[in-house]
Amino acid sequence: MLEIKNLHARVGDKEILKGLNLTIQTGEVHAIMGPNGCGKSTLASVIAGHPAYTVTEGEILFKGQNLLKMKPDERANSGVFLAFQYPVELPGVGMAQFLKAALNAKRKFLGQQPMDAVQFMKYMNLRAKALDITSEMLKRSVNVGFSGGEKKRLETFQMAMLEPDFCVLDEMDSGLDVDALKLVGKAVSVMREVHRSFMIITHHDDLLQYVQPDRVSVMREGRVLITGSAELVKEIEAKGYDKF
Amino acid sequence: MTNFNPFLIAEKLNTDVKNPNSESWVFEVQKDGFLCADFLQTDASLDVLVVLNGENAKCHINCAYLVNKNNKININIKVLHKVKNTLSKQQIKGLITDSGYVNFIGTIEIPEYAQKCNGLQNHRGILLSPKATVSATPQLEIWADDVQCAHGSAVGPLDQNQLFYLLARGLPEQEAKRLLLRSFLGDLMPKDFDELISNWMDKNV
Repeated sequence: MLEIKNLHARVGDKEILKGLNLTIQTGEVHAIMGPNGCGKSTLASVIAGHPAYTVTEGEILFKGQNLLKMKPDERANSGVFLAFQYPVELPGVGMAQFLKAALNAKRKFLGQQPMDAVQFMKYMNLRAKALDITSEMLKRSVNVGFSGGEKKRLETFQMAMLEPDFCVLDEMDSGLDVDALKLVGKAVSVMREVHRSFMIITHHDDLLQYVQPDRVSVMREGRVLITGSAELVKEIEAKGYDKF
Repeated sequence: MTNFNPFLIAEKLNTDVKNPNSESWVFEVQKDGFLCADFLQTDASLDVLVVLNGENAKCHINCAYLVNKNNKININIKVLHKVKNTLSKQQIKGLITDSGYVNFIGTIEIPEYAQKCNGLQNHRGILLSPKATVSATPQLEIWADDVQCAHGSAVGPLDQNQLFYLLARGLPEQEAKRLLLRSFLGDLMPKDFDELISNWMDKNV
């Protein structure tokens, strides 16, 4: 699904990713763990194509294609989804309007007919119901006036709506209470399928109590130091990151 | 036609209207009167004076500017709270692209005898090109001490984090920008102007 080779990236003059290698197989749930400042969120932003980051070396292959050559919207429509750590507020842009535009942009990209309003509402309501998203939440502007937990639930709802092949969850567990964590965990579990991969970025094991990863990588100072099985999470929790 | 400068007096009660020339408007709102006026400016300047001339007079002035090419316009809106217990609200929002230039001056004047007035002025401009310029001068001339007044002015480029959020959800850049700019203008303008605004966006964003 995703193959990252010798990735170097900087923001301004500061190099943050310093030769990162990582492979995520199709169908794999891959946790990326590491202390604050190790470059986890930078990795997520670079994958999504955030213009603040410059890639100076290395490559990212997504389903065999050169991801770095694609614009952010092309990446999204090819199946990359980033659930943001801090989702921005879009005052005046209704959630339903926004998701219909996003879904139809993807359909257009894939050469499919756009969904009309009736088809779209059916499609949306079905997914909202499955993830305990109320119609009241969908009538409001995107992320405006929602709590941190609600914003992250709405991120996973958007993920369910767009049905991406590769989902990057950037610190979805930061600042969430147990109930919100369970709902985010449920969304991932519902969407976990053989053709879909997840990259779950976190610095502790809260979310991983609800989502069992297949593989775990530990990052430090802009590189992946070690990749292993889910057992690695227990080791980190017991001994901390200094061991790596 | 690329440019247009429509206006609409959406509501008017006990208000005298003068239009000394195509760019100037003088409204005198008398006791218990109300005025709601909407202006959409592209290539012509606008000079509005509202005099709240009787108790409980109220006005809402909504102005949007869409300025492109080498167009340079002045937007001058002044509300004079001539008597006590009067209320005014000015909302001005605009988009400037190419080498467009907007000089905005918004004034609220409340003399010392006009107590218990409420004046609000909010101006926001979005710059869509590096050469686009807005000069904004909000002026509060408040001499009365028992009044409520608020004003704000902010001019800058489109929020890059908002734009990236839409791109990361698959919206092409042009569509994402248009969506953000439409929501920025929101319901400031009456439905009658929708088509003009959409046409301008199609050509300039």
